[in-house]
Amino acid sequence: MKIFIKGIGSISPQNTIQNTLIDADIIQHHTEYLKCIEPVYKNYINPVSLRRMSRIVKMGVTAAQLCLKDANLTNTDAIITATGLGCIEDTENFLNSIIANEEKLLNPTPFIQSTHNTVGSQIAIILKCNNYNATHVHKGSSFESALMDALLLMKENEANNVLLGSSDEMTPNLFKITQRLNLWKKEPINHLKLSECKTKGSIAGEGAAFFALTNEANTSNYAVINALDVFYKPATNDAIDQRISLFLANNQLKTDEIDLVVYGINGDVKSDGIYNHLMESVFNKSTSTYYKHLCGEYHTSTSFAMWLSSIILKNQVVPNIIKLNNQPIKPINNILIYNHYLNKNHSLILLSKC
Amino acid sequence: MDTLIKELKEEIINELNLEDLTPDDIDADAALFGDGLGLDSIDALSLIVILEKKYGLKIGNPDDGKEIFRSIRSIAEFIKANKK
Repeated sequence: MKIFIKGIGSISPQNTIQNTLIDADIIQHHTEYLKCIEPVYKNYINPVSLRRMSRIVKMGVTAAQLCLKDANLTNTDAIITATGLGCIEDTENFLNSIIANEEKLLNPTPFIQSTHNTVGSQIAIILKCNNYNATHVHKGSSFESALMDALLLMKENEANNVLLGSSDEMTPNLFKITQRLNLWKKEPINHLKLSECKTKGSIAGEGAAFFALTNEANTSNYAVINALDVFYKPATNDAIDQRISLFLANNQLKTDEIDLVVYGINGDVKSDGIYNHLMESVFNKSTSTYYKHLCGEYHTSTSFAMWLSSIILKNQVVPNIIKLNNQPIKPINNILIYNHYLNKNHSLILLSKC
Repeated sequence: MDTLIKELKEEIINELNLEDLTPDDIDADAALFGDGLGLDSIDALSLIVILEKKYGLKIGNPDDGKEIFRSIRSIAEFIKANKK
């Protein structure tokens, strides 16, 4: 059974609401972290529901609405969401209120809305969808876990359509805390030239991306999701090479049949070497691209990569802003997304042209 | 009384995130739940928190809640009658 991407929706630090990524419209941020370009939410969400939603919930719910509209669907057989850290803003509000009010007289809304499955449940409430609903929270492999869940559900004929998505938000407090963990660059940088950075740390980001998956072939579909693999803390570059070779062999593909690779390069000199190794060896004949200079680093950033790959496969256009080499662009039939989060959670997502 | 009603409206707009409303938009005698302002049970919890935090008042008998939270004016009357 083939699983297709029928519709997509994304809210990111770029203008992605129209499901396009145009070189001329790329936004350069001049802030400590990359914050989403957000739409007027009243155009997408009922004001009564909207007043209780924090930013991440608005982003997630709106990206889901955009996706369903793009897929021309009004409901779905399952809702599967992913998040690395969940509703941080509401969690902060709730915890701050516990301290300020000495554990008494707490406003219930931030607590109710701070759970990790708020986005998935709010989508279900809006759609009046009582079907399968799950949220996966597994740090840097959260989106991959949700994707695995969706693929298994569809392959076992439990669902014909699945609404799959992820959302993560950055807040000033979270940025300060993670800055202490040395996750982010200390010096100001031009994030659009992230791949050229030779210092430690990355640039923080956020985003929400949703996908309407279907088992029904249609010429308007974006892509086929062929395979997914996740692995943890590979010991050496050789181990990664072997894992990729096995992954491609299991999908009856050779390395030179991967027309385009989307790397998770994040500008951190400590961990980008893995990507450079692959670009120079295993995939030296493929078009090399990356995406985190556009959306920043966050736990579920591979959903942005999958959104990007979907529009590339459908439109057969590769924006210049994501290119890392000058390989001539061939017809793009197969795209491999390879990402790792802090060199712990590694993932491979294989997409193909419909 | 008018000052207390205005203060309550502002407090409710702020606590319940009624961003699109101003105090003048809220009729002090209109129902808070159901057809009027359209508040729900989660908002009722927030109103209890406002009463206790801002005015130091607790509703002793839960059965009185329905009448106290009927409108902004009924809340103001409860505050005026019970605030020490």
